[in-house]
Amino acid sequence: MRGLAAAWRAGLFGLALLVSTPWALDAARMQRAAERLGPRAMAAMPSLTALLQSGTGLDDEALLDAVNAFFNRRIVFRDDAEIWGQADYWASPLETLDKGQGDCEDFAIAKYFTLLAQGMPVQRLRLVYVRAQIGGDSVAHMVLAYYPRPDAEPLILDNLVTSVRPASRRPDLAPVFSFNSDGLWNGVGSQSAGDPLARLSRWREVLAKARAEGFL
Amino acid sequence: MSLMRQIGLLLAAVVLLALAGAVGVNLHAARDTLATQIKLKNSDNAQSLALALSQQRGDPALMELLLAAQFDTGYYRSIRLVRADGSAAFAREAGARPQRAPEWFAAMLPIPSTPGVAQVSDGWRALGRVEVVSHVAFAHDELWRGSVQSAALLLALGALAIGVAAAGVNRIRRPLDATVEQANALVDGRYVKVDEPNVPELARLARAMNGMVDQVHRLFTAQAAQVEQLRREAHEDRGTGLPHRAHFVQRLAALLDGETTAGHGTLVLARVAQLADVNRELGRETTDRVLRAAAVTLRDWPIDGALAGRLNGADFALALPGVLLTAQVATALAQALQQALSGIDANVQMHVGAVAWRHGEGHGPGALLARADQALARAECEAPFAAHAEQAGEALGGGAGEEDWHRRLQAALAAQRARLADYPVLDERGALLHYESPLRVQLDEGGPFEPAARWLPLAQRSRMLPAIDLTAVRLALAAIAADGQSRAVNLALASVADGEFTARLSELLAASASASAKLWLEVGEASALGHFELLRAFAALVRPQGVRFGLEHAGHALHQSPRIYELGLDYVKLDVALVRGAAADESVRRFVSASVSLLRAIPVRVCAEGVATGADAQALWECGVQGITGPWASATSAH
Repeated sequence: MRGLAAAWRAGLFGLALLVSTPWALDAARMQRAAERLGPRAMAAMPSLTALLQSGTGLDDEALLDAVNAFFNRRIVFRDDAEIWGQADYWASPLETLDKGQGDCEDFAIAKYFTLLAQGMPVQRLRLVYVRAQIGGDSVAHMVLAYYPRPDAEPLILDNLVTSVRPASRRPDLAPVFSFNSDGLWNGVGSQSAGDPLARLSRWREVLAKARAEGFL
Repeated sequence: MSLMRQIGLLLAAVVLLALAGAVGVNLHAARDTLATQIKLKNSDNAQSLALALSQQRGDPALMELLLAAQFDTGYYRSIRLVRADGSAAFAREAGARPQRAPEWFAAMLPIPSTPGVAQVSDGWRALGRVEVVSHVAFAHDELWRGSVQSAALLLALGALAIGVAAAGVNRIRRPLDATVEQANALVDGRYVKVDEPNVPELARLARAMNGMVDQVHRLFTAQAAQVEQLRREAHEDRGTGLPHRAHFVQRLAALLDGETTAGHGTLVLARVAQLADVNRELGRETTDRVLRAAAVTLRDWPIDGALAGRLNGADFALALPGVLLTAQVATALAQALQQALSGIDANVQMHVGAVAWRHGEGHGPGALLARADQALARAECEAPFAAHAEQAGEALGGGAGEEDWHRRLQAALAAQRARLADYPVLDERGALLHYESPLRVQLDEGGPFEPAARWLPLAQRSRMLPAIDLTAVRLALAAIAADGQSRAVNLALASVADGEFTARLSELLAASASASAKLWLEVGEASALGHFELLRAFAALVRPQGVRFGLEHAGHALHQSPRIYELGLDYVKLDVALVRGAAADESVRRFVSASVSLLRAIPVRVCAEGVATGADAQALWECGVQGITGPWASATSAH
């Protein structure tokens, strides 16, 4: 009986998600997610809410600047091993805010979902694996790229260089591969935060978490 | 529709429903799993393809080669590279692929193949996206194979379940069939018990049925026993188990008429002498033993086809078809009876008479019995356990027995062929009190004078007792007149009750008044019971003539019927059974003393009958008895 009831609830939830597409910011869900995470996440909520509200009416570039600055100021760079005790961990935006710490993926992911939450079309954003030259070393790094048009030169949101710059002004970065969530939600509408399928890869898992936190 | 078939169909329906449900659920789960796996495969393949494409620095030829290689070596329905503006830079579509799963199956369970999408770039330049869609035919094949397998497995399980259910139903049906068989057996009169099955409900049924069968069996057995009992009562003498008179006569008639039986044979009659006396003297229990011993002797007579029967109280009969050694048989039977009875009481006597029958003599069973009766009568005139076989020509004219007797008795009386025997009764001084004078009748002219035992029952049946008793009185009066000795005559109750007899008796007494004063008249105590008024009137009639009136064989009912004393008695003769062994038995002496003191107070003279020894006589004198008769008195008087 319990299994049946759970399936019923999951079905209703899926139906609600289906009806609410295209997904957008869900402030109430975000608030509940922050409550679950803890007091530091709660403490970050007013400023995040202010950021999200301030985005209305801004053009894309101003929005990029605001979001880039918000996370670059708030989040301290640190390795996943120190924050989470794991070699690599993709944190959701609220998790990153709760910790106040993150590595390059966490920055890029937080910015990506915050921008999406503010209505940025998904086709304009890509998470990009890059090879970064820091001093004489090459390190694996991730940044968020903004394409005003599909074939235009992107703007790069990075935590190494805190200002938003066009790609051509970032000779230290060599792009390797880019991806976003475009098409990932295509097909059947049964996908949800609770779908085990959604957690099969790091990317899918963090997507599911971001949705559970109301960003999508 | 039978219950078993209903249960069977119900079971089959349940099994089929479960089977269909299981297959359906299984199919849908498998379809969902397959769809998920295809989606993941699409997505992952798209990502790796995009990763490879992004390394080609935007060279269209290299990218097309990569895409073609992926499409050709993989199992895809389509692979497309879509530019950022939506136009297709590369597209490959595969047609329908042959599949093992039937079309209807694929149509019924469509498996969605969600396209996998990944972004392709060249450096910072976005080139578009790659869309990968896998073929689902293999999934349908897989699903088809799985469903066929699971259907087969479930069918096998269903068949097994139906087999188990059939065994279960059988297990129920066998006891039910057994119970039906049991009930049918009951209808046929067989009493079958069934084993109780292990199923509690059926065990209760079997137990109840077994109980019912038991009960019915008991009832039937009891009823059969009752019927058997009734049959025995209808055909057998109760005391001895032999056929009773009617049944014996019937079977004797069958023997005489039967064509299958021997045309000749011997009929033997055996009679216990003085059965009434035996009964009185030895008691009922011993008498019954005597009768049973006689019955056993006859019944076990070692000749095939022998038929034994009990004709009345004292008379037994034995029919021996095929046997003609009449005299030998009679003697042998008499000896056997003597041997059988000697162990019970030496005083009991029997006599045996035998006749032969031959086919064509035309004798019915009645005539044959009458002839045997005559032979028996002859034996009774002889010694104890004498046997008499009818000699040729001995039969009296062949007339019917009873009429013959009647005629002969009447003739004897008319011709005065009768005389009295004299048995002395002594008083305490040894003087003669009177003679007991039983009548002897010469039935056949020139023949023996025969005692009452010989003709009394026949006389009674012929209503000749008053005439006989009158003859006895007349003879007694004549004897008294001749020798001056007192004489006692025993009268039958039938005579006392007969008006003509009493009138004739009065005339006789009046005619010889002096002799009358020495006449003693007595009746049996047994016959007096219940006829007080009659006897009192009789006593009142004869005593004024000087006759003394008394009871013989008395003592048994004196204490129970005090009214006996009102009869006007002069004397009482105590029965031999009450006085026998007075010398040895204190209780006998006490009884006699009490009776004497009671009766002498009235006053009534008390005598004792059948005294055999001097010691008994002495003891009885001491008890106050005033007269003694019997062997001792006869012997004493003779001296």
